[in-house]
Amino acid sequence: MTLLELKGVSVHYGRIQALRDMSFTVNEGEVVALIGANGAGKTTTMRTISGLLNCSEGTITFAGQDITKMKAHIRVVHGISQAPEGRGIFPGMTVMENLDMGTFGRKDRSGVAKDLERVFDLFPRLKEREKQFGGTMSGGEQQMLAIGRALMSNPKLLLLDEPSMGLAPQFIRQIFKIIKEINNQGTTVLMVEQNANQALAGAHRAFVLETGEITHSGTGKELLEDPAVKEAYLGVG
Amino acid sequence: MSMTDGPTPMQTAAAEQAAEDREASSKAAGRSDLRERGKRKPGYFSDRWHALSRQQQWAFLVIVVVLAYLLPLINPPIITTEPGNNFALACFDMARFALIAVGLNVVVGYAGLLDLGYVAFFAVGSYVAAMLTSPDSPYLHIPYLWTLPLAMAVTMFFGVMLGVPTLRLRGDYLAIVTLGFGEIIRILATIIPAMKGQVGFQNVGHPPGTEADGTPIFSNSNGVPWYWLTLTIIIIVTLLVGNLERSRVGRAWIAIREDEDAAEIMGVPTFKYKVWAFAIGAAIGGLSGALFAGQVGFVNNQKFDVTTSILFLAAVVLGGAGNKVGAILGGALVSYIPLRFTAIAEYKYLIFGIALVLIMIFRSQGLLPARQRLLAYGRTALNKVTNRAAMEPKDTDKPPAGTDSRAAGERGAEA
Repeated sequence: MTLLELKGVSVHYGRIQALRDMSFTVNEGEVVALIGANGAGKTTTMRTISGLLNCSEGTITFAGQDITKMKAHIRVVHGISQAPEGRGIFPGMTVMENLDMGTFGRKDRSGVAKDLERVFDLFPRLKEREKQFGGTMSGGEQQMLAIGRALMSNPKLLLLDEPSMGLAPQFIRQIFKIIKEINNQGTTVLMVEQNANQALAGAHRAFVLETGEITHSGTGKELLEDPAVKEAYLGVG
Repeated sequence: MSMTDGPTPMQTAAAEQAAEDREASSKAAGRSDLRERGKRKPGYFSDRWHALSRQQQWAFLVIVVVLAYLLPLINPPIITTEPGNNFALACFDMARFALIAVGLNVVVGYAGLLDLGYVAFFAVGSYVAAMLTSPDSPYLHIPYLWTLPLAMAVTMFFGVMLGVPTLRLRGDYLAIVTLGFGEIIRILATIIPAMKGQVGFQNVGHPPGTEADGTPIFSNSNGVPWYWLTLTIIIIVTLLVGNLERSRVGRAWIAIREDEDAAEIMGVPTFKYKVWAFAIGAAIGGLSGALFAGQVGFVNNQKFDVTTSILFLAAVVLGGAGNKVGAILGGALVSYIPLRFTAIAEYKYLIFGIALVLIMIFRSQGLLPARQRLLAYGRTALNKVTNRAAMEPKDTDKPPAGTDSRAAGERGAEA
């Protein structure tokens, strides 16, 4: 079943067009990856889906509902949650307070304990650091916190913007393993990545973005073997 | 990438964790230092304060409040601003600044919105009180005390009027726009005939009540009753603001201050909460303005310049942006220093400047750095989780689970 659908979406920053007529779908239960070089429009796509940017043309449909004009903070309530680029944690809040902010839009207080337990199971490190300030943690821990915080709203769709950015290779493997685990628990994941190898290996389907347009699409495996993708993003060929 | 790496998801995570721990331990020295600093961030006073029991905190507060009320009567020798300035009037001035700082702290300290035109709200409050009580004003006259809530309502309205179009801007841009707004209000007071420019309004009203000899209790020359009135208002306002800070609203403000985009995608209606911060801050500024107008008894366009706005901001930053007690201290200090050194008139602002520089060098976070204790729903949820973890057999060497969770509960309640 289609969970998210973008149809002919264009986004402008003033006169500069960042996304051109972009259309793709994300089905329920999938892990979908968007890969592309710097400036391809990956983060713009994410911010458009989470509602921080408005699209100038096109429609976004989520779970059968048109959300094109919906404000970002209401999209959270409907089940779209984002771990933003550069982590975007609240540096002056403790880990616990950060996680709490993730529940801000929630109506059901009863589900909070269950989701907190889920987050602490996925990231035992966060539990150890519970009282520490977000800003004093290492990059990897901050990334865990950003993902954990996004999960605290119990989203249907989790948006991850460059979860591997600036992390050590060992940490990157761990993060992707956890993304897989989150997906196995029933959350649909849409991620943006520069680390094409890891992203394609972990994704059911993937799209390649170039200057605001989708140029390739297919299953993760197909794209991993596509010579053009290989040459451009995987550093072989 | 499959889950067959470990028998269960839990153990996979645990194994990875162990690997990460090993990696981390090699550079533990440097990082533990960082963590230590992270823990100490709330500040020495804050730690000491929260280490006290509830009763001790209350006892301490009662003593401080009683001393604050007695301050103009005691007129302590070295602290006093006399002979240059009447000490009771100086106390009122400090209280007025403190109240303004509490209001501006909501805008700057909590929501992180840089407002350089806060004096505009102060001016609006002053003019509301003056125009509705002064015999110089042709309008309807009402008892002075009614002008206090009215001034708050009117300035709140102005706050929303300014906020709705401008709060889409961020950071420096917002600062410039508010700076402009401050000037607009001052210039309007000059050019609108009804506001009487430099001539101003004399004999602004005051609260009722007369002494035995027929002179009013709240006279312009007697600072004590005005000081007590303002101090009482500060206490009430601080309690209300403190409640807001610990509520959902406070959490939203702090989140906006820390990272506005992140707050928005966490489900915080950022625009709405920013307008609220502006409106509440404005109302407190207006209240302070009305008190000022009443005490001085005279309002014209000369007292609402940019410098005053900057002084207000300095009070908040000096005290520790985001800390309401700090704001009170900062406000009192900004008002006190020039008054204390009036005797050496040429040097008083030099001393003031040096004091600001020294405080900012040695306490860059302000006198009392902010550390919000946010209302945390998750904390109760967490207690449940820790409770369950404590039940597991591997924890048998620890004290019984009951005491553990009760202690955790108490910590949660305190916070």
